[in-house]
Amino acid sequence: MSIFFKLVKALIASVEPTNEEKKRKKVFYYVMAIFAVFGIMLPMAFFVGVIIYSLTAKLMPTGAGANAAELFLQIVSVFSFIFGLNVIFSVFYFSGDIENLLPLPLKPFQIIASKFTAALISESIMEFILIIAVFAGYIIAAGLPFYSWIIALFAMLTLPIVPLAYCAVICMLVMLITGFIKNKDTVNKLTGFLTFAFILLMIIIVSSSGGLDPDNLVAALADPGNALLNTLNIIFPHVHFIMLSMVNNTAVNLLFYIAVNAVSVALFLLIAELIYFSTAADVSRSSSSRRKTLSSSLSSMKEHRPSITYLKKEFRILFRTPAYFMNCILINLIWPLFLYLIYVLQGKTNFLESFINDIHKGNEETVLVLILGISAMSVLVTACNCIASSALTREGNHFAFMKYIPMSYMAQINIKVLVSIIISGAGMLIYVIAAGIYLNLGIKMILICCVISLLSVIFASYFGIFMDSVNPKLVWDSELNALRGNYNIFFNMAAAILMEGVICAGSYLAFKFTPIGSLMIIIILIVLLMVLTAVSYLLCCTRAVKNIDRLSV
Amino acid sequence: MIKLENVTKTYNKSVRALDDISFEVKGGEIVGFIGPNGSGKTTTMKLITGIIRADVGKITVNGFNVRKDPIKAKESIGYIADSPDMFLRLKGNEFLDLIGDIYHVPTEKRRKRISEFAERFELTDALTAPMMSYSHGMRQKIMVVAALMHDPPVWILDEPMVGLDPKSAFELKQMMRDHAKAGNTVFFSTHVLEVAEKLCDKVMIIKKGHILYDGKLEELEAKSKNSSLEEIFLELTEK
Repeated sequence: MSIFFKLVKALIASVEPTNEEKKRKKVFYYVMAIFAVFGIMLPMAFFVGVIIYSLTAKLMPTGAGANAAELFLQIVSVFSFIFGLNVIFSVFYFSGDIENLLPLPLKPFQIIASKFTAALISESIMEFILIIAVFAGYIIAAGLPFYSWIIALFAMLTLPIVPLAYCAVICMLVMLITGFIKNKDTVNKLTGFLTFAFILLMIIIVSSSGGLDPDNLVAALADPGNALLNTLNIIFPHVHFIMLSMVNNTAVNLLFYIAVNAVSVALFLLIAELIYFSTAADVSRSSSSRRKTLSSSLSSMKEHRPSITYLKKEFRILFRTPAYFMNCILINLIWPLFLYLIYVLQGKTNFLESFINDIHKGNEETVLVLILGISAMSVLVTACNCIASSALTREGNHFAFMKYIPMSYMAQINIKVLVSIIISGAGMLIYVIAAGIYLNLGIKMILICCVISLLSVIFASYFGIFMDSVNPKLVWDSELNALRGNYNIFFNMAAAILMEGVICAGSYLAFKFTPIGSLMIIIILIVLLMVLTAVSYLLCCTRAVKNIDRLSV
Repeated sequence: MIKLENVTKTYNKSVRALDDISFEVKGGEIVGFIGPNGSGKTTTMKLITGIIRADVGKITVNGFNVRKDPIKAKESIGYIADSPDMFLRLKGNEFLDLIGDIYHVPTEKRRKRISEFAERFELTDALTAPMMSYSHGMRQKIMVVAALMHDPPVWILDEPMVGLDPKSAFELKQMMRDHAKAGNTVFFSTHVLEVAEKLCDKVMIIKKGHILYDGKLEELEAKSKNSSLEEIFLELTEK
């Protein structure tokens, strides 16, 4: 057992920042961490808790009080399963420590159990917070006794086990059965496709159900024949048992819950013991292509300006590395689907339709809200795709390259920022122009929207790379780990959202409570974004360059 | 060509990696830099290449101050790092093209140099494959080609023979000799004392951030009553 704990400790330590990185952390970063927790994570948890509380309160008279919490926990399990697949594949088969662990005199289940536990702990923090928020909403609304909180805490730590155990079993069986998954790139492409397909499926289901307004939702949840919930309860029975243990106040259901967890863990450990070693051998981290002759490879070589080649190098790495492609590029295509999902979800409340009508009528306030929304979305997308805010982190163990080549740090920063501007900006502009045409905004207004969007992207890109320079996570064993479990990116996002939130709220309040007209507010917004961009640029010229210079690699 | 004056480097304000070291490597010399693990070899090389900066002291490369004129200094250097795992998503020819552009190598010279190196290191059919698919030795060969492609006057090579097959190691040693013969500088670290013994004009022995010996190998052997370099090294570093 001590081997298991030591392995878990070592595996978790390998994805945490190194001592060197911890020492580099500045007060500013701690402030961002506090904001991320108190400004984003806890409010989100509170929001979820309030929704569950309201739905539970409405459902209590129907006798189906637990169904809202149960459905939400089932959805958390589904997401945990979908996103866990890539993580488990990566951790079990393609992490850098495999080559060191396999030769050790360890049993397969010892390696797998410790890797599984380390992945569970490091990947489920946000999930833990959401789960406890769901239970809090339910327990308070249902007026359950104090010891329910103890069960809730126990469930918080153990609920993600079953979805991840499913991932583990599927992952090992896939590796056993299929001959084609012998490298990480195939896995990343497959799981990326699955995620995309899952989001599309959600949209189709919600669209076909005619939207989920609160009344519809309560009615659907109160229905004992709710097909979605019943199906999910078969797939993830542990959620049903833990909710039953709370509703019926019986130990039997809690024992069933523990049994389901125990069986799922035992099953995947048994499979690991039987097939892990044979499937872990002979995997590589990437595929190779056909090789050509020297003359053909030389003919492709041609002198270009260093900045052009450097830019090409950045694009090649972003597009060819599946983890980067999924997290940095594809997200620019996926977010409109989420917006559409929200549009469908709001059902018959028709907020968006009245919003669109107001824009058509030329309502000043609505147009201003649209422009502020575009600015906020541009910053959010740029921060979320983390092209700029992970640009230095992604260099990883070849960060030294940036330092020994005869190219100034600022030139390199500018190129990395340009990549972010091109990808984030192009994505945003396409959607802004399309939305402008759809909303019949007119060329002048579309141009203003494009300028604001582009300025917001440029600001967020320079700010992102500056934030990354404060404390880049340079030690990681797989590209996925450079992005996942990297709280720097989350802090970068938190800081950008905080600033953009202040700007948007300030602009809206100025319009509402001062005599300044919407046109003047838009002009002030453009000037403000230009100033912020200039400040971020200057921060890069001075502080980021110094930060890079001081980094010991 | 390489000059360090009273250079000190401390990590995390507590670990003194280099303590007031000074030395000079002149043109036409091959200098072997030897020392136990953690003695400060890689730190010294990183300081010279500008990867890290010294707390105090002055470093000049090819007459350019590394702090004040970093771009000129870096253009003079061909550097092979201790790990060849770099930009593995790029193909070999793409990586070399990137390096060629960064160091302003004209197209024809670039093609000629790469063609010559590819033949010598048997890389001819591998250049269009992603470097991810290369073996450790192949990656090391690509790093050697990349470092030397722009024909820099100063070569700084951190453990350059690691991973190379015997033929490639032989070719690299020959290239090092030719480079020094042309009046240039080769400064390389190694743990293989036989390589230092056969190749170097001078050796530099470092331990815990202090230079214990800097001079000609024959003089060192004469002082130590004709003991082998291995015996001298062990005697010096285990004191």
